[in-house]
Amino acid sequence: MARRGMAGRLGEVVVALALACATGPAARAQPSDVISHPGSSPAQASNAAGRCGVCHPRERVLFEKSRHAQEDIHCVSCHGGDDRTLDQGVAHGSGFRGRPARSAIPALCASCHASEERMRAYNLPVDQFALYQTSGHGRRLASGDTRVAVCSDCHGAHDILPPSDPASYVFALNVPKTCGRCHGDSTLMRPRGRRDAYREYQASVHAHELFDKGNPRAPTCVSCHGVHGAAPPQVGDVDKVCGQCHTAERRYFVAGPHREGLTRAGQPECASCHGDHAIQAARPERLSTLCSQCHGEPSQQARLGRRLWTEYRAAAQEVDKAAAILERAEAVPLQTADYRARLEEARTYLRESLPAAHGMNEETVSGFTLRARWVSAEIEHEIYGKLGNLRTRKFVLILFWFYVLLTILVLRRFRGRATRVE
Amino acid sequence: MSSPRGNPPPAAGGSRAGDADSADRPPPPVPASGHPAGRTGWVEWLEQRLNLTEIFSFLTHFGLVYAPIDRSRPVREVVRELATQPVPSYARGPRVLGLLAAILFGLEALTGVLLAYYYRPTPEAAFESTRTIVRDLPAGWFIHEMHAWGAYLLVAVVVLRLLRLFWDGLYRAPREVLWWSAVILAWLVLQLDFTGRLLTWDARSYWSTVRGMEVVWALPVVGPVLAFLLGGRVVNEDVLIRFYVLHLLVLPAFYLTFVYLTFSTLRRVGLSPPADSGPEGTVTFRHHLYSMLILSVLLFGVLVTLATLLPFGFAGPADPYSTPLGVRPPWYMLAPYALFQRLPLPAWVTGLLLLGAAVAVLLLPLWIRERGVLEPRRLRTAGVAALAVWAALSVVGMLIDRR
Repeated sequence: MARRGMAGRLGEVVVALALACATGPAARAQPSDVISHPGSSPAQASNAAGRCGVCHPRERVLFEKSRHAQEDIHCVSCHGGDDRTLDQGVAHGSGFRGRPARSAIPALCASCHASEERMRAYNLPVDQFALYQTSGHGRRLASGDTRVAVCSDCHGAHDILPPSDPASYVFALNVPKTCGRCHGDSTLMRPRGRRDAYREYQASVHAHELFDKGNPRAPTCVSCHGVHGAAPPQVGDVDKVCGQCHTAERRYFVAGPHREGLTRAGQPECASCHGDHAIQAARPERLSTLCSQCHGEPSQQARLGRRLWTEYRAAAQEVDKAAAILERAEAVPLQTADYRARLEEARTYLRESLPAAHGMNEETVSGFTLRARWVSAEIEHEIYGKLGNLRTRKFVLILFWFYVLLTILVLRRFRGRATRVE
Repeated sequence: MSSPRGNPPPAAGGSRAGDADSADRPPPPVPASGHPAGRTGWVEWLEQRLNLTEIFSFLTHFGLVYAPIDRSRPVREVVRELATQPVPSYARGPRVLGLLAAILFGLEALTGVLLAYYYRPTPEAAFESTRTIVRDLPAGWFIHEMHAWGAYLLVAVVVLRLLRLFWDGLYRAPREVLWWSAVILAWLVLQLDFTGRLLTWDARSYWSTVRGMEVVWALPVVGPVLAFLLGGRVVNEDVLIRFYVLHLLVLPAFYLTFVYLTFSTLRRVGLSPPADSGPEGTVTFRHHLYSMLILSVLLFGVLVTLATLLPFGFAGPADPYSTPLGVRPPWYMLAPYALFQRLPLPAWVTGLLLLGAAVAVLLLPLWIRERGVLEPRRLRTAGVAALAVWAALSVVGMLIDRR
């Protein structure tokens, strides 16, 4: 701040005048009242580029949109040199860093972002650099491979925006594309023994949720791999990663036999059945076919899978039947609000039976499916009872017709008497 | 009470001369033909067809006209005389459809008042309140279904009555007023049905009203005026409240007026004889009354059975932003709807044709008098042909939006 005193402000005026002259008469024809209202307009942010922008207009445009430009960070903060002069010799003089080497970038960013004093005012974490050093990217960089992601590859160099900004490279919906710039590039990934995870992810149910439904809470790359400490989860950790969201599934999975067996066999836990990047929506009918893929066809496990699927299907059919009869009752119409709530209860049990199937314990699963069936059957029974009132109506109708015929007979008698009197 | 009418059997016999079966005979002198009335003035012309004196004395009951009070006849004597009054015995079966209409109207009024106690005529509350009536109130469903089925039967009865009057040629002098009031009553019943079906504000009724309003709107000159009175082209809360007021207040009032006019005409010109007339006996009015009571009880039984076994039910609440599939206007509007949709003519030409047809039906008596010589048999054939065309058009209209 001390550097930018009276002289700096004077310099700005000079730059402004110089720009006005350089852009010609068209610019001069504009009204000059922009100068009379300083402070409120984003034009003030343009000061952040100092005089560097005169020779580096492209970088200046990018930088002026960035978060840094709003927070008194200037070109010289990263690049060194002097932004108060137009003399290239002086500007690129003492302490000038130029374009930082890729290997130096994380440390350069960390010179501010690892400082608790500097970051406190923004309530930003300061552990990114430490995390980065533990990540796959950081470890490769330390081993001398400079063609790995550094801070600027994900966040941008000049145009850094906060992750909450939809234009940011690290906004939730942009994260897969940002990672995919490298991880979707097979020339970069194949020598390092990595697959094209970006394309696989795009086919997944997670990507469908993120892109097609626009749900910003859907998992992106960083949800499973970590942000600055990005690394593939190891065998033994996969269920913990998935379990961050799929809590019920993990609870049953950990209690079941698969976790230990898969870990011992060196197979990734959840990914062994569901896949890793191209995860598809879980379809309950796969219970009947998937087990035999590892356990073989005439096995106890394959039979268990088929039994679980049968139980689930029976319960689902019962719930559907209850829903259908509820629709019928609604159309009569009968009062159905209570039954709607109980149908939701049955649906909840049915839904819970799917996570429970991860425990491979038939009793737990049938506990839920039986409860779903029981509640559904109860709804059906009671609504049938109420619809039975309609049958009562029909019975009453028969009685009513007896009464009508009786009345008509009496009236006919009266009529006959009326005729006789005449 | 019976003194101004004179003795009915001769009156009925007298009017028979101008009727369907005897058109080839020369027109009788008075009072069937309207020619002398043309010279003596319209009051006399009307007096031969309506109980003008009684209508006038009816006004005195309200004190609107100051008139002497008749103290000479005690009520017991009046009732006894009434009970022994002779009525032609052919007044039964299809010849008392008007009475059935009156009974049904009374039933509609009764159930309608009960429904109105709980109904709220706003788009937000209409469906909810109707559902509350049907679902939660004791016997609410019964009242609602009776009202709906009653309306259905009322429309059928009124239309059948119109057909019967046409078939028996009861639009000829001196029954022009009977015909006019029958046509207007039929039109009023259709209007009551049209305004009433919107009130439940469920998806089916809403969209069928939207289609119906399109037909109304397409009529030239009359259409916009009518649509304006009904609340505009877009079916919204304005339309709902107007339909409500029309359904509860305006149309029933007109209906009652024309019912009174009908009975007044009947009393003046006598009951019509059957087409294949022969000398038939008479019964007492008491006997006739019992017959009508039996008929009413039977009608009530049929109505209760229909309401119980074939309830109309509802679709979901109306959503102006989503049209369900296969919406059609009410059945009696299907024929004009088909014409508007399928006839390769500008809408105003079609509308003009329809209006012309309606006016032709209404003015049938005058039209017949102008032509004079048109044979009743040929007229009947023409009527049947028109009815067949109407039915065919209705079928076309039914098939238009089917998926």
